[in-house]
Amino acid sequence: MFDILKKVLAPVGPSGLEEPVAAAIRAELEGCVDTIETDAMGNLFCIKQGKDPNGKKIMLSAHMDHIGFIVTGYEKEGFLRVTNVGGIGIDVSLTRHVVFPSGVEGVVVCEPVQGAKAMKNLFIDIGAESKEEAEKLVKLGDVAVYANDCFRLGENRVASPAMDDRCACALLVKLMQTIGETKDTVIALFSVQEEVGCRGAKVASFAKEPDVGIALDVTAWGDTPEVKIPAIKLGEGCAVKVMDRASISNPALRDELLACGEAAGVKTQREVLPFGGTDAGAMQTSRGGIPVCTISIPCRYVHSACEVIDMRDMDAALKLLTAYLKK
Amino acid sequence: MDLKFLTELNAPAGHEQALRRVLLEELKNYPGVTTSIDRMGNVVAVKTGKGAEPRKRVMLSAHMDEVGLIVTSVTEDGFLRVAPAGGVDPRVIISKRVTVGDDKVPGIIGAMAIHLQSAADRQRVLGYSDIYVDIGAKKKEEAEAKAPKGTYICFDTDYVEFGDGYVSAKALDDRVGIFNLLRVLEDDYDCDVICVFASQEETGCRGSKGAAFALKPDIGIVLEGTTCNDLGDVPETLQVCNTGAGVCVSFMDGSSIANRNLFRHTLEVAEKNGLTHHVKRSVSGGNDGGSMQRARGGIPVVVLSVPCRYIHSPSSVVKYSDVDSQLALTKALLKSI
Amino acid sequence: MDIQKVLSEAAGKLGPSGQEMQIAEYFAEQFRPFVDEVSIDAMHNVIAHKKGSGPKVMLCAHMDEIGLMVVNIEDDGAIRLGNVGGVDPRILPACRVWVHGKEKLFGTIGALPPHLLTAEERQKNYNAKDLFVDVGLPGDKVKELVRIGDLVTFNAPLTELMNSQVACKTMDDRACVSILLLAAERLQKLHCDADVYFVGSTQEEVGSRGAMTAAFAIDPDLAVALDVDHATIPGSRPDTTVDGDSLCATIGPYIQPKLLQRLLDCAKEHHVKLQTAVSNRSTYTDADEVGLSRAGVPTVLLSLPLKYMHTTVETIDLQALKEGGRLIAHFLSELDAGWEDDLWI
Repeated sequence: MFDILKKVLAPVGPSGLEEPVAAAIRAELEGCVDTIETDAMGNLFCIKQGKDPNGKKIMLSAHMDHIGFIVTGYEKEGFLRVTNVGGIGIDVSLTRHVVFPSGVEGVVVCEPVQGAKAMKNLFIDIGAESKEEAEKLVKLGDVAVYANDCFRLGENRVASPAMDDRCACALLVKLMQTIGETKDTVIALFSVQEEVGCRGAKVASFAKEPDVGIALDVTAWGDTPEVKIPAIKLGEGCAVKVMDRASISNPALRDELLACGEAAGVKTQREVLPFGGTDAGAMQTSRGGIPVCTISIPCRYVHSACEVIDMRDMDAALKLLTAYLKK
Repeated sequence: MDLKFLTELNAPAGHEQALRRVLLEELKNYPGVTTSIDRMGNVVAVKTGKGAEPRKRVMLSAHMDEVGLIVTSVTEDGFLRVAPAGGVDPRVIISKRVTVGDDKVPGIIGAMAIHLQSAADRQRVLGYSDIYVDIGAKKKEEAEAKAPKGTYICFDTDYVEFGDGYVSAKALDDRVGIFNLLRVLEDDYDCDVICVFASQEETGCRGSKGAAFALKPDIGIVLEGTTCNDLGDVPETLQVCNTGAGVCVSFMDGSSIANRNLFRHTLEVAEKNGLTHHVKRSVSGGNDGGSMQRARGGIPVVVLSVPCRYIHSPSSVVKYSDVDSQLALTKALLKSI
Repeated sequence: MDIQKVLSEAAGKLGPSGQEMQIAEYFAEQFRPFVDEVSIDAMHNVIAHKKGSGPKVMLCAHMDEIGLMVVNIEDDGAIRLGNVGGVDPRILPACRVWVHGKEKLFGTIGALPPHLLTAEERQKNYNAKDLFVDVGLPGDKVKELVRIGDLVTFNAPLTELMNSQVACKTMDDRACVSILLLAAERLQKLHCDADVYFVGSTQEEVGSRGAMTAAFAIDPDLAVALDVDHATIPGSRPDTTVDGDSLCATIGPYIQPKLLQRLLDCAKEHHVKLQTAVSNRSTYTDADEVGLSRAGVPTVLLSLPLKYMHTTVETIDLQALKEGGRLIAHFLSELDAGWEDDLWI
């Protein structure tokens, strides 16, 4: 699982420009599924037909996109002015190493300001010495993301940017590689533009009309000294979401997943997140509405350049989902 | 007479008639007890001791009254403007049910819907200038017919036993004390026991002041409910007392310093008899102990309290075993005198 | 139909947004005698279908209630809360609740007492982090019986006030579902061509998610949304509230004007007192989502005035509620094939 994780963490894929991530995933799943297709927005569908012709269509979604900085202008000294794509935290971005899809690298810097810092105070230093030089290297509308920097932290943990939500991409890849035959049709959706409002999952679920939707995403943590909520701890198992701002999990599906986890002997946590949302929200309200839930990987420092997960929670999620699809 | 019946009676400070009548009737069933009403409306029940003269005169006091509201005016469109009768934090009465007057007209305390509040409104505490009681009247005359100015209002809260021996009710402060005074009188003692069912504690310990002056006791024991904050991850050093840890003995509070000898004697009696008890760790609050202590030439006083969560709210909580513990220590203390 | 009994019973059914199974079962049973088919869909919407050959009309009022959810349990057994929908934290201190754990537990909401607060803090309202539910059990027992994500609902019985008013939890919007019940009952005695779908919708309090999907599935020609509106109380601004004793129809860009006129005319014809209010943009009701379903659905919004919205003492006038049932029944009965003529002219 760690090898797959490293592979899907590597590509640069900000919201709206996820193609390199899709290519990496496609390479992993070629031959493991019945069909692989993409749609007009760039969603990647990897589909395994179920044995049972009357079986359900279960859509599992993990988003490929990563929050980033979009270039809005140049300073005469060669600096880039940027704004955010998705929920960028200013404090955690300062002096961070970022990279553009073209390979151009930069550092995020903030001007000295009194009071609260805003996006307009940030700029990216790409080493250009003039506006002209900067314009040659980076075009308006290009997007930079935190540069790939994946490393192990202790025995079980891994830190990296883009863990939200590439860790779930890796999980879903592993699941599709290992699941074998299932009664129900499984649609693995590697979705786009989640960070800007779950736009990919919305159209994907309209198009595929699944009967059940399960989002795979990261969730926030409650196990550092001053943070208690959400009551989620790394290494205590994957989380089954009860509610966040975008969706309230279908109680029957939620309980079924919890039961599958218990039957598979894996640790699970119940998650109530007072903020945030996942693709489940978009799937739930598609067409006439479907039951949805989210399986979350607990992740510290979400939306920073060092998002930390615990591989044991990834394994727990894999076992739980396998148990659910095999039942 | 049980605690449920007592808490569900309405006796706001200054308007204790309903409870007073019930007590007078009830005390007729107690052999050897002489009952009277004094000038302040206190119900005084005296049980002469079995010991030889001169006997100590021990005054026990628990207050009849509870916190509530009083109608101060009626608006043109039939809403009741109110003031607190006793200390009621306006933050705990929003969206609660009340009964208005002796006829118990149902009413509610509403508030501007969250949708209509500005961010600043949400921060602002609703005070008594904002709060009103709605009984459904649409005109001033209609409301005044049911609730003229000066009508008393009580919380509409039934008595519920829940959890691990806990009780949720209104007026637990100080119906627990009233309940125990009645139970104290079921037993015999060597000393003279003078039980004062006091009026108007919540509006300034007024009833017990008059009673202590008139009754000239040698010793005073106050049976109270006291604030308890043992839940909600409160640092232990800030916890006043604990539910389930038995009756709570005060060395000092806002209105009285316990007589040291009596305080130590009380703890010794508790220990000797193996009674659950603990010492209150805060000096906040005040009660009839202050008015008794300073009556005439001064009286040694000790305060025995039942820890009471969310005191002075429409839904306060005590642990029943602590109520029994207050009774046990009170009886043991009386027998030791 | 004893509508006060329905309101009181409905208030006792569990149904915070997203978990409306119990209240859905209840309303499904209430609708059943008056319609041809009743179903509960994947979002827990109750869809009661009275078949007809005329225009397909969807009426919806939401069943979900605002509530609370367990987000954490302290070692001493204090249960920390999060919101399901817009709960005003000012109503919570000393509020009685039910904790729906492995067992249904009685609880009361406690707060840090004033003597632990600074003078400045005492001038502020309590917020969720200061508050907790006390279920009177030791910490380990609480953790055994209660789990993160369990629901906490208000424990507030119905109270009768003067002038046919009643105060209760969940009047928003189960009072309006009751209007639909009264309309369905009355419609049995009236001629009706319309193909009518009565919908008890879900997840309105978190963004009308149930009405959105129900409208897609039903694909109606036109719709009537019913919700509560703020009734006048002391200190309320006149432009944000309406009179408490009669129904109200909304005027605004999200409302189809000819359909609104039809509703106003119907009220006049049948002597139902109907006031109007203005929403310049979103109405913040199911009408917004239903109106934009698929290719668009001409929609009107009928409101029942209510005092103290999102508290445990939401107060409505039963007389106004009953008039709502009468108005909707006549509106449906008189809906003919020509309803769409000159709709936008």
